[in-house]
Amino acid sequence: MARLRSTLGVLFSRSAVRYGLALLCFSALGLVAAKTLRIESDFTAFLPPSATPEERLLIAQLRDGLVSRLMLVALHGADENTLARASRGLAEKLGHAPEFDYAANGSLNQFAVQGEVLMRHRYALSPNVNSQHFSAPALRAALEEQLAQLGSPFGMLSRTILARDPTGEFLATLRQLDPGSMPALRQGVWFSADGQRAFLIAQTRAPGFDSVRQASAMATVRKALAEVNPKVEITLTGSGVFAAESRRLIERDAVNLSLCSAIAILAMLLFVYRSALPVALVLTPVTFGLLIGVLVVQALFGSVHGITLGFAATLLGEAVDYPNYLLLNTAAGETARGAARRIGRTLALAVLTTVASALALTLSSFTGLAQLGVLTMVGITVAGLATRYLIPWLLGDRVLDFRRLHVPAGAAAAQAGWPRMIGLAATVCGALWLASTYPAWWERDLASISPVPEEMRAMDLRLRREMGAPETSLFLASRGASETAALQVAEEILPVLQEWKQAGWIRSYDSPAWYLPAPATQTGRLRSLPDTPTLQKNLDEALHGLAFRADAFAPFVRDVAAARVQAPLTRAAYAATPLGAKLNALVVELEGQWLVLTPLVGVSDPGKLAASLSAMPEGGSRGRSSDTTQLVDLKQISTQMVDGFSRAALRQAAVGTLLITVLLILGLGSLKRTLHVAAPAAAALVVTAAVLTAGGQRLGVFHLVALLLVLGIGLNYALFFERTPADAAERERTRLALAVCSISTFTTFGFLSLSATPVLHAIGSTVALGALVSLVLSALWARPSFS
Amino acid sequence: MNVLRLPAVALIAFIALLASSTESLAQAGVFDLVRLMQLLSLAPEAEVAYTEKKYSSLLAEPIVSSGTLSYRRPDTVEKNMTAPRSERFRIAGEELIVVRNGAERRLPLSSQPLLSAFAASLRGVLAGDAALLRSHYRLALEGEEQGWRLEMIPLEEEISRYVERITVSGRAGRIEEIEVRESSGDRSVLQVR
Repeated sequence: MARLRSTLGVLFSRSAVRYGLALLCFSALGLVAAKTLRIESDFTAFLPPSATPEERLLIAQLRDGLVSRLMLVALHGADENTLARASRGLAEKLGHAPEFDYAANGSLNQFAVQGEVLMRHRYALSPNVNSQHFSAPALRAALEEQLAQLGSPFGMLSRTILARDPTGEFLATLRQLDPGSMPALRQGVWFSADGQRAFLIAQTRAPGFDSVRQASAMATVRKALAEVNPKVEITLTGSGVFAAESRRLIERDAVNLSLCSAIAILAMLLFVYRSALPVALVLTPVTFGLLIGVLVVQALFGSVHGITLGFAATLLGEAVDYPNYLLLNTAAGETARGAARRIGRTLALAVLTTVASALALTLSSFTGLAQLGVLTMVGITVAGLATRYLIPWLLGDRVLDFRRLHVPAGAAAAQAGWPRMIGLAATVCGALWLASTYPAWWERDLASISPVPEEMRAMDLRLRREMGAPETSLFLASRGASETAALQVAEEILPVLQEWKQAGWIRSYDSPAWYLPAPATQTGRLRSLPDTPTLQKNLDEALHGLAFRADAFAPFVRDVAAARVQAPLTRAAYAATPLGAKLNALVVELEGQWLVLTPLVGVSDPGKLAASLSAMPEGGSRGRSSDTTQLVDLKQISTQMVDGFSRAALRQAAVGTLLITVLLILGLGSLKRTLHVAAPAAAALVVTAAVLTAGGQRLGVFHLVALLLVLGIGLNYALFFERTPADAAERERTRLALAVCSISTFTTFGFLSLSATPVLHAIGSTVALGALVSLVLSALWARPSFS
Repeated sequence: MNVLRLPAVALIAFIALLASSTESLAQAGVFDLVRLMQLLSLAPEAEVAYTEKKYSSLLAEPIVSSGTLSYRRPDTVEKNMTAPRSERFRIAGEELIVVRNGAERRLPLSSQPLLSAFAASLRGVLAGDAALLRSHYRLALEGEEQGWRLEMIPLEEEISRYVERITVSGRAGRIEEIEVRESSGDRSVLQVR
């Protein structure tokens, strides 16, 4: 007896050391993860890799383009006066905030710096400047017009610069800047047509995808408004806002839902085992798998994407199955080591097939999906190894004692032929439905990849419409070997654009060539300016007999003289102005070439424009084929990109499936058994996809990922079911193990489907449904028949 | 010359006011902004001829124009210039309508603070609406019922950048002169004949 006690003591202390070691290992890993983990949430990581220059342009625009940096601010919930005052106060405050390049609210005095640039360079910018423009008759006509305006009470604004600019070049320059797409003005600031909302546009310094800095910019806006008038309500929208908001939502959902499902699973495990030790043991492989998986992703990719992390939580649902399967399979009085040896082969196959299905993801050239793949592979492998070796090692010779629940068999039903036939019929119907409705259920909209909830996108669209600033997806892209060359090409297309506008093919266009003409054009204009004696002579002649004082326009003569020796205007001159920001977005370098983008608004028929472009002589006036203007349809490119990606993903999935089949054949050593295992898993995929699409869901990238997961889970179930049990007791143990496994999967993914984030919702609902179908079909088909 | 005269006028008006104060107190009531607004609001709708002189540092001599000015209740003001050329400005509802060289242009008043402030000054004085005037200007009244001067200084920085002050003078309910002094030093004087 004493000997037994001392043996037990040794055993206990030895296993205590083992637990201590495991805990130490775990803490060390946790510490490393906490110290080094870098979470990013740039949703473009989940965009398809870009093959063509146009696609790269799209990605660049989405990530860091003009549109991505614009924050739309709507003020509401007060009367017009209050809103207008709040708009002024807010614009004033944001104008000085370090997070913003500028904040515009439509008020005239806002663009002071920009106005100065345009004023200083008006003779290089105004399209009216030519050699005849400053002749005596032309000047006379201009002066007479100014005299008439001087009498009117409403020309006060232009009158302040009359002495410098009697020919009105500044106004001619301003008039080019497209006013067509601006919202209505009330009390001098932008308002919605109904006067309910005041609008501001602020450009953030941070790129749109930098969710952390975008969030701080949003906080700045809210704080500034609270200082101006805390009673006014505010709505913020824009790509950057989306990035910040979706990061917040993903983080919130990932934390909350993971917590919920963890609690639910814990409760279920406690109910099943009624003892703390088995529960702790079940959780061990999962936590190790997750930690090591995340660390490997971090090591390989430099950071972990927020979505990947959200998804990591879902691994919990699958990885927790292995230790459950092991522990619940141990017969009364059997050590875990013994059980592990017995089910080792099945477990290995279950792990390997899941790894194979995730391999397809790893091969993906999307960073986001590759991260998911690596995390799944590493996490599952570690969890599998921990189940097979760590748990038996921890337990040593100790026999776990827990009450084994009895699960009613319902086996009679499964043994009967007709439920199997129903399963078969459901699968056939599902396949027929999918085939007949293809490709309507294929998601082709790039927006589906965006983690932004639907209602936020709808709000953005509505505000944009109210602002009269529709999102443009059509551009003319003028290509050149240098910035100068590209600008030249963009300038040559201006007459064509004017024709299109007159013909009503487009409503308006916004050419960078207006405010940044090619250097040659600028020099041409400046050269046509008369020298001072000539100008003075013409001016004196023009002034003769008019009411103006003889020396009234001396500032004009000085300005023209200065303009004649001025260097051409460059992009740098616009630094820190709204136009500068716009130019940086519309004049871009891409792979050694320069592109000048001209956004088109209100295009009735893109086909007509493309045809009109291709009918033009190649290469414009200089006949170089590299210098051309093309129509770029971002919407179409994005659709192509998604299509291309979906095809690639399908190919990868096919490779994964092939790999799985080979693994199964090798592992099971029999074609018939392989069929037993593979058929329910494959059928579950078909039924799940059919049910989802029948419910009006379009299948996108994330559904595909989720379906791969379903495949992995389905194969696990089928493998567990398929293993021939030695006796009735083992059959009962298997039933219990599978019930626990499927409940945990269903719980985890069920919680995930509650997420407001489209990605998490898609994965959650797909896997929850898929797991259920897999379980039923495996129960019906995979179990070996006892004849 | 003009610059010198203005304070002098103000001083005289002030002395006159002091001198007459005992007398007017003895009468039915004091002449104040309330009384002026009452007088203006009771004035009949009218169409009057005007002459306007525009002074500017760019001009050797002022530009003189003339035409008619009319007001219809509640808020329609029309300035019909006939010489040296034909031009029409009409403020009605929330719009300014300009007809020049045969072309009509419509501008919503709310689109530019300057426009709405300008329209408010005209409408406020013509209708005797002190509240409307006060929403855009600081008001100062001088003189007596038979010779008053209402000075309006813009409150908003966006207006005062261009307009230094608007001075309206008249006799009882009749407006005789409107002077707009711009921040640039330019000014225009409109006299009702």
